[in-house]
Amino acid sequence: MSNQLEKLPTLGVGASLSLSSKPDPVSLVKAQGGPSFVEYSGLVDVDEVIDEVDKIRAAGAPVLFHPSYINFCGSYPNSNAWLETTAKHIEAVESPWFAQDVAYCFWEEGAAYSTSLGYFIPPPFNQASLQLAVERVKEVQAKISVPVAVEPPPVTFITGSMPLFSFFGSLAKQTDCAILLDMGHLVSYEMASGRSVLDAIDELPCERVVEIHIAGGRLKEGNKETGAGPIYVDAHECTIVDQTWQMLESMLPRLPNVKAVCYECEGVNENTVLTTLERLRKIVREKSSSKLLVACLDVCK
Amino acid sequence: MSYQEQERALFDLLFDSTVRDNFCKDSTSALYQYELSEEELNDFSVIRPDALVLDAKIRADLLLSHFCRTFPVSFSIVSSLENGFDVLKGLVDVETMRTTIIDRATFFGRRLGESLQHFSFHSADEQAKVSAVLEAELGMAWTSASLKREVMDNGQLHIKPSQIDGDWSTQSIKLAPYVCAAMIPESYEKLKALLCSEVDCDLWRSLSKKSLAASRRKKILEKDEPRLFIARAHISHMSRCEPTIDQKTVELSEGFAPLFQHVNGTVSVDYILDQLKQIGAQDEMLQSIKATFLQLLESEMLEQA
Repeated sequence: MSNQLEKLPTLGVGASLSLSSKPDPVSLVKAQGGPSFVEYSGLVDVDEVIDEVDKIRAAGAPVLFHPSYINFCGSYPNSNAWLETTAKHIEAVESPWFAQDVAYCFWEEGAAYSTSLGYFIPPPFNQASLQLAVERVKEVQAKISVPVAVEPPPVTFITGSMPLFSFFGSLAKQTDCAILLDMGHLVSYEMASGRSVLDAIDELPCERVVEIHIAGGRLKEGNKETGAGPIYVDAHECTIVDQTWQMLESMLPRLPNVKAVCYECEGVNENTVLTTLERLRKIVREKSSSKLLVACLDVCK
Repeated sequence: MSYQEQERALFDLLFDSTVRDNFCKDSTSALYQYELSEEELNDFSVIRPDALVLDAKIRADLLLSHFCRTFPVSFSIVSSLENGFDVLKGLVDVETMRTTIIDRATFFGRRLGESLQHFSFHSADEQAKVSAVLEAELGMAWTSASLKREVMDNGQLHIKPSQIDGDWSTQSIKLAPYVCAAMIPESYEKLKALLCSEVDCDLWRSLSKKSLAASRRKKILEKDEPRLFIARAHISHMSRCEPTIDQKTVELSEGFAPLFQHVNGTVSVDYILDQLKQIGAQDEMLQSIKATFLQLLESEMLEQA
């Protein structure tokens, strides 16, 4: 693993919030037991968000920029203009790393936010797709000055038979990048594929996992006629399902370099955010093998 | 045989309901039309059909919530029509999704316009009013797309700042760039207030839970207070990547519409006023018309030719 990843700051337990809607990030940061950092999925142009971001930083919380417009996979390259604007954004807000889901945000021509496709389209998990993902990640790394972290996307169905951690383990090693694991996304993969992510845990360079996400979701009942199990739908405004909490408890002991645990809670009321952060801190203290992260719980907030 | 062919198949499974339906019936034969090797075909055999159908449904719903921002009044009205939701959902297909992002909303709006003739309305008058509202929203979508394209292609906007000379009324006038105009049955802001329960993406969510009642649509569109609606697309946030385009709007009384038809770059305001004077228009009315033209020039809806 490169030195760059080892030197990343430990941010503690934070929250991913929308800058323009409830709950208010500044008020949460100031609250007792509030997030020790704030992640946001903003627009590409930093001048559109800098006033809000500055308020959060002035309240004492560092920020992570986590957009949804980079193609980290597939044959459609990212535009230089978007990458250069992203680099300026990251520098201006001092995001220590840059993470996003590995999925299609736009198709064929031009760059765009993932809303242009409804939401992310996950790539097929196969060798050809992996090689293109390597190309896309390197394309981004060439323009961005901070470490890049790749995140397995949420899936309702999967294409390709390569195990999730084999795909992402190889991608991270080939590009020397970090990894972000979203617990709900892992649950979604297990439900869509019928496989346990842990079957291929040996393929995952666990030391590269720097960030964990946890968020609400919905379970849609599967087709009863075929005996199919439930389907996971990523829905941040909903409560965190039991399977996601269990995934967190099983993953935390295996990830020694986690720097940040982020509760994605756009649209969730402030009290729920605070009680969930409290529960997260307790689980991190009990289960995490990242000593720096556990130590940060007492210092960061 | 290539990864690009897998991408094409994946895209079609998500946005082409025929391919998807065939896939759910027989996953192998549905993909014979793609040049895929045995191994590449096998990559699709792990797809759960029920999950694919759910994904496509959620995706279409999210896309509609964005189209709804461009056509709020039209969406509200269509929600009140029989099969309105089915028509809207049906338009999120591979044809729409293969259209470039800049032109997608306009393309969607045009197709929605073509679909209107298949709906059942209370009267031909009501249908005409609904078409007029959609035309106004489509006009704004089109000027927004045109302006965005100019900015994206050229990196900046080449519009000379408008200067109104002292003798402005003697000079020929024309519509300014990125301006659209339409006759609509009622003030646009009033229509939005009366027909749209929410704004932006929340409107689609709200309509999906509770569509506009047909009786309310009928009652509101029965009123006859036509307005000449004029809108100009402008950049509210400049960006190399994603400039934000908004609309400035002006609404005038129905009586101004025939005069507006003469605004084609060949005649001046004084010429129009002369013609009106010859058919007996009073000075007070002429002054009011002149002031309205000046207001349109000042708001950059019109410009000197």
